This record gives sequence, C-alpha cells and structure tokens, in this order.
Amino acid sequence: MRNKIVLLMSLFVAVMLLVVGCAGGDDENTIKVWTMNNSMEEFAKKYEEENDVSVEVQVIPWGEVRDKFLTAIASGEGPDVVQVGTTGVPEYASAGMFKDLSEYVGEYENFNPDNFYEGAIGTTKYEGETIGIPFHVDTRVLFYRTDLLADVGYPEGPETWDDMVDASRKLAERGDDQYAIDLPQEDPQYPFMLAWQHGWNYNVDEGASNFEDPKFLEAMSKYKTFYEEGLSQLEEGKELVQAFSEGSKPMFFSGPWDIKTISEGAPEIEGKWDVRVMPGQETNRSMIGGSHFGVFHNSEKVEQSLDFINYLADADTQLEWYKEVNELPANLEAWEDPVLADDPMFSVFGEQLQSTEVLPMITEYTEISEELLKYLEEVYRGGADLESTLEEYRAKVSDILAD
Amino acid sequence: MEPKSKLEKFIVTFLLVFGGISVSLPFIWMILSSFKTEREVLQIPPTLFPQNPTFQNYLELFQNLNFDVYLVNTLIIVFFSMVGLLLNTMAGYGFGKFEFRGKEIWFMVVLVTMMLPGQITMIPTYLIINEMGLTNTMTGIVLPGLIVAFMIFLIRQFMVTVPDDLIEAARLDGAGEIYIFFKLIIPLAKPILSVQVILTFIASWNSFLWPLIIANDQRLYTLSVGLSLLQDQYATNYGLQMAGSAFMVVPILIIFMIFQKYLVEGFNVSGIK
Amino acid sequence: MTKWKYKLMPLFFIGPAVLLLMVFSFAPIFLSLGISFTDLTLIGLADWSKVNFVGFENFVKLFQDEVFLESIFNTFFYVIIGVPLAVSSSLVIALLLSMVGKWLSSTFRLIYYMPSVTNIVAIAVVWGFLYNQQYGLFNYILSLVNIQSVPWLEDPLVAKFSLIILAVWKSNGVSMLIFLAALQSIPRDYYEAADIDGANRWQKFFKITLPSMSFATFFVTVTTVIGWLQFFEEPFVMTDGGPLNGTNSMALYIYQRGFEYNDFGYAAAASFVLFIIVIIATIIQFRFRKKDQTL
Repeated sequence: MRNKIVLLMSLFVAVMLLVVGCAGGDDENTIKVWTMNNSMEEFAKKYEEENDVSVEVQVIPWGEVRDKFLTAIASGEGPDVVQVGTTGVPEYASAGMFKDLSEYVGEYENFNPDNFYEGAIGTTKYEGETIGIPFHVDTRVLFYRTDLLADVGYPEGPETWDDMVDASRKLAERGDDQYAIDLPQEDPQYPFMLAWQHGWNYNVDEGASNFEDPKFLEAMSKYKTFYEEGLSQLEEGKELVQAFSEGSKPMFFSGPWDIKTISEGAPEIEGKWDVRVMPGQETNRSMIGGSHFGVFHNSEKVEQSLDFINYLADADTQLEWYKEVNELPANLEAWEDPVLADDPMFSVFGEQLQSTEVLPMITEYTEISEELLKYLEEVYRGGADLESTLEEYRAKVSDILAD
Repeated sequence: MEPKSKLEKFIVTFLLVFGGISVSLPFIWMILSSFKTEREVLQIPPTLFPQNPTFQNYLELFQNLNFDVYLVNTLIIVFFSMVGLLLNTMAGYGFGKFEFRGKEIWFMVVLVTMMLPGQITMIPTYLIINEMGLTNTMTGIVLPGLIVAFMIFLIRQFMVTVPDDLIEAARLDGAGEIYIFFKLIIPLAKPILSVQVILTFIASWNSFLWPLIIANDQRLYTLSVGLSLLQDQYATNYGLQMAGSAFMVVPILIIFMIFQKYLVEGFNVSGIK
Repeated sequence: MTKWKYKLMPLFFIGPAVLLLMVFSFAPIFLSLGISFTDLTLIGLADWSKVNFVGFENFVKLFQDEVFLESIFNTFFYVIIGVPLAVSSSLVIALLLSMVGKWLSSTFRLIYYMPSVTNIVAIAVVWGFLYNQQYGLFNYILSLVNIQSVPWLEDPLVAKFSLIILAVWKSNGVSMLIFLAALQSIPRDYYEAADIDGANRWQKFFKITLPSMSFATFFVTVTTVIGWLQFFEEPFVMTDGGPLNGTNSMALYIYQRGFEYNDFGYAAAASFVLFIIVIIATIIQFRFRKKDQTL
C-alpha cells in the first residue's frame, strides 16, 4: 500500500516537472500575444510560416480579461502584444499599459489611420497617444420585422425617432403582451446613442455640464417614454429570438452576431426581417466597438511585435478573420470584397460604421454610464421626475469627475 | 431515529421525493439541455425534454477542447489539493486535540482568513506569488488554494467526537503521535473526511481563476479554463455551455457516490473502548 | 514520550498549514485592508509612487454613501432571514435522510446535493424562468388559485426574498453532508438507554440528538453567517443589485466599486467595514457557545 502511494506520488511529481519544464520558451525570437479568441492560434501559425519569429498565443476568456490585465498592470509582467476591447482603452491606457505607437504609425504601411474607419481610429487615441491599431469593429443597427412594420406603415423601418415612436405606439396597440422594441435596460450605450441621435455630444472638457444640454433631456424623455407607455417591456420577458419570431417584439438594436442568431434560430421568419441603419433625428450615429492590438508597455521586442500587428492590420488578414469568426474588419479595404460589399445585411453594418460616435474616452466612463442607468431607473420604475433626477445625476457626475 | 409506523415511513419518503424533485430540477434541466439546440434552451416556457435531441453540443465540445493537456493539469491540481487536505486535517487535529501556548490566537488567525471574499484579496495574493517568482508555475497555481480555513475549522469541530481517553490509551501503549494520527484518528474521522474529500475534489476539479491568472502559457490551463475559451468561441451558446457543465459534473458525481458511503460508515466509539 | 517532543507535536501538526495560510491568505487580507487608507486606483496600481495616503477619508465618504448604507441594510436582511432558514432546512433534510433505508438515503443524498454542483448559468436560466413575472412557473401556479402575479424580481422587497429562497436552495447540500456526518457520531447506546427510560421521539431529539450535534451545528452556523454576510453570487447573476439597488449586498457593492470602477481604495474601505462586521458576528457566536456548552 505504502509503495503504491510513493509510486503514485513520484509519478505525479514527474508529470508536474515535465509540464513546468515545457512552459519555458522565452527566447529572443518569441513574442507573446494575449488575445480573446482561439482562432488567433491559426492566424499566428500562418504568420510564423512566412516570418522567422515564433508567436506564442495565450487566449484569455472574455470574462477574465480584466483580472488578467489588472494583475499584469500591478506586477509589470505582461505579454508583448495585447488585444484590448475598445471600452477598456481609457482605463488601461491611463495606467500606462500600452506603448505609445504614435512614432511608428508612419513606419508600417498598414498603420496608416486612413486605412480604417474614423470611429475605430478614435478609440485608439487616449490623451494624444496611439495605444493600438484597430483590428475588428462592432456597431449597433436596427433589426426589424419587415412584415409587421409594413402593417403600421413603415416597410423600410422607421427613419427618424419621431417615426420610431409613432410606429412603436401602433405596434404596442396590437394587444396585451405586444411590444414594439426591446431596449436593454442594462446596457449603458443605449441612452448615449439616443442622445447622439438627438444631436447631443459629450465634450470631455465640459464634464458634468454636458448633461445640461436640452437635447440630452429630450433624448432621455424619449427613453422614458418607451418604458412608460409599454413600448418596451419593463419586466424580464421572453427570450429575444422567440419574441422576435412571434412578433411580440418586432424590433431590437443589436450587433452583427445576431444576423446568424436570427437566421439559424428562427428560420420560420426568413425573408420577413431585415436590418437598417439607426433611426436618425439630427444624426443617426451608432456606437463604435471592437478591439485593437497594442504593445505592452515594457516589451523588449517592440519591432517583432509591431511587425506582427502590421500583419493583423492588413486588409487580407482582417477579411480572413471575418470569414473565420464573423468579426467585422476595421480595415476599409476589406469591405470592398464582395463577401461584405454584396451581402445585403452586412453591408448595412458597413454603412452604419461610417456614422459612429466614440463613447467618452475617459476613465470615469464606466461609472458615469452605470450611474446614468441607475438614475434613469429611478424615473421609469421608481416614478421620479425626469428633470430633477437629471439634475441630481449632474451633481453625481461632477462628484465622480472631481475624484 | 427510525420511523415507527408504515404511515410515518410513507410520509417521510413522500417528503423526500417531493423535495428531491423540486430541488434537483435545475440540475436535470442542465443535463437535458445539453442535448437541445441553442434556441430551445432559452425558450419560454422551457422544455424539460429536448424536442429534437442533438449531439451537436457534445461533438463541438470534444472536437475543439484541447483535452489532454488540460486534463493532466487539472489532475495535478486535484492531487495537490488532496495533499492540502492532509495538511488541513493535521491542523484541525492539532487545534482540536492539543494544548499549546497561543492556541486561541493561532486559531483566530485561521478564522480571519475566511472573513473576506476571495476577489478582494486577489491582487495582493498575486503580487506575493509574483515576488516569490512563482508566476507561470504549477506551484504558484496550487499554493494559494492549498490550505482552506473552512476545512481546518470543520475538522477541529469534529475532533470533539474522538474521546481523549482513546488517544491517551494509545499513547500509554507506546504508539507514536504520527501512528496515532494515521491509524486511529483518520479511521475514526471517516465520515467527516469523506465530506472533505468531496468538497476538496469539487473545488480543485473546477479550479479556474488561479490557473488563468498565474499562467502565462496555455500549457498550464485547466479544463474549466479550456471550456470557458470554447464557450467564448460560440458567443452565447447555452447548449454548449450545458454540455460542458454536464461533462465536468460526471467525475464529481462519481467521486460523490464513492465517498458518500463513508459518510454513514458509523464508527462505534463505545465498541472500541 | 519526552516532554520536549510533546511540545513540538502541535507545531508539527498545525505548522505547515498555518505557515501557508499566513503567507497566501492572511497577509493579502492585511494588505487589502491597508489599501483602504489610500486613494489607490488603476493608475496607482501601475505606479505605486502615485498612491497617496488619505487617512479616513474613504470611510467618511462611505458612511455618507446611500448606496453603501442600503447594501449594509440588505446584507443584514439576508443574514437575519436567510441563515436560520438555511441552517434549519439542511438539518431537517439530514434528519429525514437518516430516517429512511440505506438505498433511499444514498440516492437522495445525491439528489439533495445536486444544487451545489449545478452550473450557475443553468441556475440563472431555470430560476429566471420560475421567477419570470409574466410567463414564470410560480406565477402560473398562483394564477390557478386566482392569486395575482407576484413581481418576484421586479420589486425591491420581494426580490430580496426571492434571492434568499434561491440561496437557501443552493446552499443546503454542504451543510446537509456535515449534519449527516455528525449524526453518525452520536453513539447508538445513548438512544438505547433513552428507550429503556421510555423517552418519546421528541424527547430523544431535544435531549440527545441536538446536544450531541451541537459541535456541528455551531460550525454550520458560524460558517453560514460568514457566507451570508458575503452574499454575492445570487444578486450578481440574477439582478445585478437591482431593482433600484434593492438586492445590492455589501460584497457586490465592493465588487462594483473595486472591479468595475477601479476605485480600489474606496472598495478596500468598504471591505474593511464588511470585515469588522464578520469578525464581530463570529466573536459573538464564540462567546455564546462558551457560556452554555462545553467543547
């Protein structure tokens, strides 16, 4: 018995040493890459075949990127190349996580800012620095049921927010449990998009007084209308694809991935739905999301890293990436390919990407936007007065910005 | 406490069955949903049995999971957590059956480590491991979770059930302390040790956060991390997620079934005396 | 055995565990608590020279923060209602399991343990459906007996109860196992002696079973109180602290401040408060135990 245990233990120790031993590979010609997608390994292999560099990819699950980045920032031990989602840029950049790439932009052909959507470039800038090169982009458009919207007089979908409200009221009148649209209550981007579309803009220098703009008030009162009049369901209701297919929620805003979700999940409504650009009041700007690739601040292999990023920024690479994982390319040239240009739905995303706005590039954005949602909830659920609530919100924002 | 009449037996059984069904429904739903399509998983009202059973989720799981490396890592962590269990048990015995100076204070130190949620101490713990040069090693992954105050406390409490005279008698017979611990205490503590084995196995089998944070190399990832990566690939594929959970839970159920029988392996203390 | 050897034995048994615990669990806690007197944010994490000592500023702000005070209230609400429910229900399950035959008992042990090993997403989906105000199973059953639909997760007060039920359901498994193990340790001859004295079932339960298990009940109570004071996962998954902060707990609030807003100093101050509350609650229980029982 005892012999068995000893044997088992030494076996495990041996295996462990083996595994630990393998984990090396820290030589001159290896760059380490942190990314959020398994498919990056294949793309790295293609790159290795053509270049004399080995690329060691470490994939990090989306939900744990933050933990991983925080520990890397705190210890100063990170990879060479790192992928970052646009919304994380201000906070990580403020902590100096990325090398400023401004001086290299002219050196690599694929780094030229004119190659990319303007909005995507906007999200690579933090306090005058260029923290990365755009890789994939993301935006929101309107998904709608063509048949049901035709019934209320908008076969092409609502073009302005006035049309939107009008169509929504008619749709909600169809009966109990019938709604017009599914506005997510937990996504802070929506109030911001609504405000942009009403001509509002966030100016970093103005801080809390940005929210004094009457256009902001107008947009928020529309936001409120949708819950108050039951145009968007207040409670947790049915799952979206099901509600869309049944027609109880014939509109929603979402990103490119839902094209696949709907066409595979609800084949019975094929041909009865479409996507269109955002309804515009003063503008029809949507948000811009996606990801960039940057260089970790203390990487010693800057040149190799930049060369790899140059490969990722290439139109061909990004087009291949789109075909593989369905994430939209940030590179404009990639959009000329018929795969995207001739696709009736994806081309709408291409069109919307020409009209986007960058979410405020400040570290406090997360807190400011989450707080906005809480204050708005006080209004549409708690019954508070909108104007005075927004006034309290402004006080809160100045507080947050003052810290 | 045996029931006296047939009626009583019936009532107790009925309560157990009724409670059992309602308690285990989400689990059953999880298993059955792994055979459903994405859409059916989220359908309201939910279906219990799959309408069009599919093995697609399992096919995707086994084709794409980098199974072998992750399994070896996970097993290594499980193995070391069992070593940790031994250390926990020794400490619990030490606190329960020995008198020494500063015992109360040291026990307080143990308890204090339970008093803050893990996420709060994550960054400081990482920095300590980093200072020790243990990042990107299996040692660094295993060490932070090796000792669990909950387990030490649990064993200490159960040491009450071991009569002091039994240990004294063994000492008088000339038995060494280590012999007493392994040959007397551990067999006597079987029911509670089986609880500990089950809990320790589950925690280490599912270990996720530390392997991810300490590793700078995918070769140190565990099964849970691998599954999580796979799920990201398919955006929000709940069916796949359920298949992953169902797959991960099988070894847990096996371990549970093996060790739960020791739970009720009563030791008759008076018989030993 | 020689005297010095006997003195060294406790060191041998507790030494390794306590040493590891000091380094990897105890030290980090004190580092975190130290952060509560600073203005640490993400910027400071990268460059420690930018961190300032701010004294008690975070604590002063904390006690003016309505959301935090509300989260303290909610946490106490969870503990006061949830802990007695959780402890008693797992005890009842363990007792029922000990009353049936071997086969039934081992089957149902597994079944009652299942909530502890159910994937959290499955829990969220299934319970989300049970609690769905419009289509949920609970409201459907209530409608059969003509009771109006209950806003399970849509009303700040009702949502607290809903999360408590969910948490009790989820936490029963482990305590049940501990109680089952404790039941085994009660010597059979106690009951035989009581039978001879003609004691009835309730007398046996209150005079033998409960007192003989008090070491386990104490453990389950202390750890359950600690666990519920750190109530986190249920609101995190089901409500994100809403509606209107009605289900926000201290641990969730700390997470939001620290991990979503990067306000580490402030979050550390909030965890300090939580820490003090947990310590006080634990000390009180240890004191009480010393008074009325021997251990």
